[in-house]
Amino acid sequence: MTTTMLPRATVREGLVARSRRRPGGWKQLAVNQAFLLPAIVVFVFLFVVPLAQSFYWSLTDFTGYSSDVTFVGLSNYRTILTDPSMLAALGFTLLFGVGTTVVVTLIAIPLAVQLNKRFFGRNLVRSLWFFPAIPSMAILGLVWRYILSPLESGVVNSTLQDLFGVGPLAWLSDGTLARVSVIVVGIWAAAGWHAVLYMAYLQSIPNEYYEVARIDGASARQQFFGITLPLLTPALVISTFLLMTAGLKVFDLPYTLTNGGPGFSTYTITQSIVVAGVSQGRYGLASALAVLFTIAVAALAFGQLWLTKTIERRFV
Amino acid sequence: MKRSRVAAAVASAALALSITACGSDAGDGRTKLTYLSWTGEEQMTPIIEAFEEANPDIDVEASYAPPVAEYIQTLQTRVLSGTAPDVFLIAAENKTSLIDGGHVVDLTGEPFLEKIPDFNKETYGRDGKVYGMSISSWAAGYLYNKDLLAEAGYDSVPETWDEFLQMCRDLEAAGITPFIESVDQMPTTLSAWIGAQSSEMDPPLDELIFSGESTFEEQWTPALEEYNRIFTEGIVSPDVVGLDGDMVRDEFANGRVAVINAGPWVINAIREAAPDLEFEFAPVPGLPDGKPFQAGAATPGYAINSKADEEKQAVAKKFLAFLASPEGVEVFEEQTNDVTVTSDFEPTPDPAFEPLAAAIREGELYLPMISWQRSEDVLNVEAVAQIQRMIQGQVSPQGVAQALDAKLASS
Amino acid sequence: MTTSVRRLVLSVAMIALACFIAIPLYYILVNTFKTQGDMVAAPLSPPTQLFLGNYQEVLSDPRIYRSFLNTFLVTAAAVVLQLLVGALAAFAMVVRTTTLNRVIGAVLLLGFIVPGQSTLIPLYRTLVGFQLVDTLPGLVIMYLGGSIFCYFLIQGYMRTLPYEIIEAGRLDGAGSFQIFWRLVLPLIKPILVTVGVFQTMWVWNDFLLPTVMISTPEKRTVVLQVYNAVSEFTTDWPMFMTVSVVALVPMVVFFVLTQRHIVNGLLAGGVKG
Repeated sequence: MTTTMLPRATVREGLVARSRRRPGGWKQLAVNQAFLLPAIVVFVFLFVVPLAQSFYWSLTDFTGYSSDVTFVGLSNYRTILTDPSMLAALGFTLLFGVGTTVVVTLIAIPLAVQLNKRFFGRNLVRSLWFFPAIPSMAILGLVWRYILSPLESGVVNSTLQDLFGVGPLAWLSDGTLARVSVIVVGIWAAAGWHAVLYMAYLQSIPNEYYEVARIDGASARQQFFGITLPLLTPALVISTFLLMTAGLKVFDLPYTLTNGGPGFSTYTITQSIVVAGVSQGRYGLASALAVLFTIAVAALAFGQLWLTKTIERRFV
Repeated sequence: MKRSRVAAAVASAALALSITACGSDAGDGRTKLTYLSWTGEEQMTPIIEAFEEANPDIDVEASYAPPVAEYIQTLQTRVLSGTAPDVFLIAAENKTSLIDGGHVVDLTGEPFLEKIPDFNKETYGRDGKVYGMSISSWAAGYLYNKDLLAEAGYDSVPETWDEFLQMCRDLEAAGITPFIESVDQMPTTLSAWIGAQSSEMDPPLDELIFSGESTFEEQWTPALEEYNRIFTEGIVSPDVVGLDGDMVRDEFANGRVAVINAGPWVINAIREAAPDLEFEFAPVPGLPDGKPFQAGAATPGYAINSKADEEKQAVAKKFLAFLASPEGVEVFEEQTNDVTVTSDFEPTPDPAFEPLAAAIREGELYLPMISWQRSEDVLNVEAVAQIQRMIQGQVSPQGVAQALDAKLASS
Repeated sequence: MTTSVRRLVLSVAMIALACFIAIPLYYILVNTFKTQGDMVAAPLSPPTQLFLGNYQEVLSDPRIYRSFLNTFLVTAAAVVLQLLVGALAAFAMVVRTTTLNRVIGAVLLLGFIVPGQSTLIPLYRTLVGFQLVDTLPGLVIMYLGGSIFCYFLIQGYMRTLPYEIIEAGRLDGAGSFQIFWRLVLPLIKPILVTVGVFQTMWVWNDFLLPTVMISTPEKRTVVLQVYNAVSEFTTDWPMFMTVSVVALVPMVVFFVLTQRHIVNGLLAGGVKG
């Protein structure tokens, strides 16, 4: 491989830092911007145009069945902001987004470090952790529904009974427990994949760093906090951003696991968009919800991106 | 070297795609009828084959979307984009939008509708017009495990709610879990009670509520209070809010509960899992001032796309006429096990289901969502969520009914 | 000595934890060898006899093979295009961090944020206009939205590459595209594989877009074939899970084959604990 022959700059002195100091000619600039073109085309056609249409529909009484619509101004937005089930959905969506982001990150980083070490059965373990990313979340949600059944015969409950003699717990039947259950399954589903993501980044940390550290007598702990963690911050920025956006957009999992219940305990914004737009023929309302939701997620996600970038700058 | 390999991969994939893309339409001179099926492919294929055999000049091109949400979504998207199939299903969820938008052909007066009972015609009609041909109905009631009942000294099923509660207590005393009901949807018990109440009213209950003469609070509160008793008195655990129909069925099949709410769709799975289990369906026991009744509704109706051209509409009517004919219904019953309602075919339901099958043919069925006159799904989502909250003790029965009134007023 | 003991402890702990994580996998697999009755009676216990009827029924249906081919074509085309569009954009963004590009980069991220449900109907209508509905290329176009995800992951990784690579390329007289193709792409292989695997899982498994887009039976994807077993009131779970497993086998093989590449990334030797 040619890579190992190249002199290695420190990570901080990567592509970005140097390129700022090296402006090229106009021709190069044009070629360079042309690389962006496909992504911009995709973005405009698959996101901007449909979103603009959704915005237009959000101001109408569109049912989703015929384009013959009446303009209703902001009344859809008013309906949303005064509906208690929407507020419940907002609360749980935020809880799920933040909860899974924090916990998955806390699990995935140490897991990636361990999975990167050599041990017997490593490939099997990696595959098993990654497995939840393979089947669709809808199927997994249905399987977990059986596993977490509140009945005594449920998988978890009968195991608890046999091992500890603890009575059946109402995993999906109690508001708080149901919220916890949905979040835990969400963490289960994402942890392995994010560990794989961190593992890809661990590969880019030069081995010499660790060798130097060992010569200096640094402990494993010191190596982790002194080398691994700081150099993983680019991965951290990406992973948490992905977790947060995916978490806020979650639909399949609560839908199949609890269908938003009990009551509105695990109701999500996306579920209310789908229910209003598809089952209830209130497409205008669903569009308004989608517009508000997009704005809210954008604000949150960019805020979080800014925060992690600030941390990244402090660390590196 | 690497470059050429990737480029070749992209090119070959793109080529293969374009080949697959233009490989449709046999062009054998038969008229093509497009159909979006609600029934699964395995059951629907023999029905279509029978039709094509009787009408060799017609080629039914069926596509499938699983009910309910995915079906509604797929149909909605196609209707809106002008790519709707010639024949599709009209269901509780899309009835209002399809009729309001003028997307379905008015079938009133078509000869094949003469065999359909009024109950089914009214379900998918409005103002005396019929837009969907529903050829079967479903009913749900209580399913009793006869062996467990015998252990507690019962050899027949109770008719009234008080008797039922007494039986539950006796079962409990004998160490048997008496009753569980899935409340991931509108509870069977409540649907049946409201249905019994409405069947003795003229005009019916929902007409009063939706015309503003009465309220959910007035009509629903007594039934909700009675229903809530089984939870507050400890007969049924509030944990049932986390159960769905399949889980409740499995508990029953394994002999862990004496009574569940269920419909005919559980029969095969229970027979397979527990061949020796003796069970029997019965209507939901009546409240003191009501009769035993059942939850249920007409199954979604076959509808014809009003945007299809005349020729296609004529062919579509042939298809509907076949589906309603004795030959068509026979295959349909065989495949789906639905209880059919056409007047010139006698269905043979499972013996265990007999007590409810009679009610189906009488049209003695009630499902709030289908009987409500507008905002059906909005109200249904609200009702299920509020009932779950009531079971958990977070809202009173009266509060549930008030929430429904508020929802109706705001939508 | 201590190293090997430590390794052993790590092995045992990691295997135990992974097995716990994999309980749902066991649940799915074990039930594919049961009849519906067996599953209802005891969903978690091992099958009483090795029942292969579900697999026989699934594999004897010729349509499953056709749907495999369709899914394979759509997935291959969609993922390769997504990676290409994403990597090109990432390269442009990373070698030239102008204010304009940073703004474009931030705006592109909006692509993640929009829930798919809210763009589905408008997009479908546009595709109807281009006569791309009910075609596999139309489906591939819908999946191109995933390019933004690829872009985001790839640009993060590219930032960690040493600048000398490009400099060396420029000195050799290579154009931007050659630098991208010959020098940068091989270096970002680990992230391409990681993202590629993930996008493959998504496209292969996606249900929403094919149900809405595809109506001709010959153009069905595997997942559509899977959901044919679902009916309104009950589902034959063992059959459903069997079709799911059959549909996923290529994915598992794919993952097992590619995971070596995720790990054998940039550096020979890797990190030793």
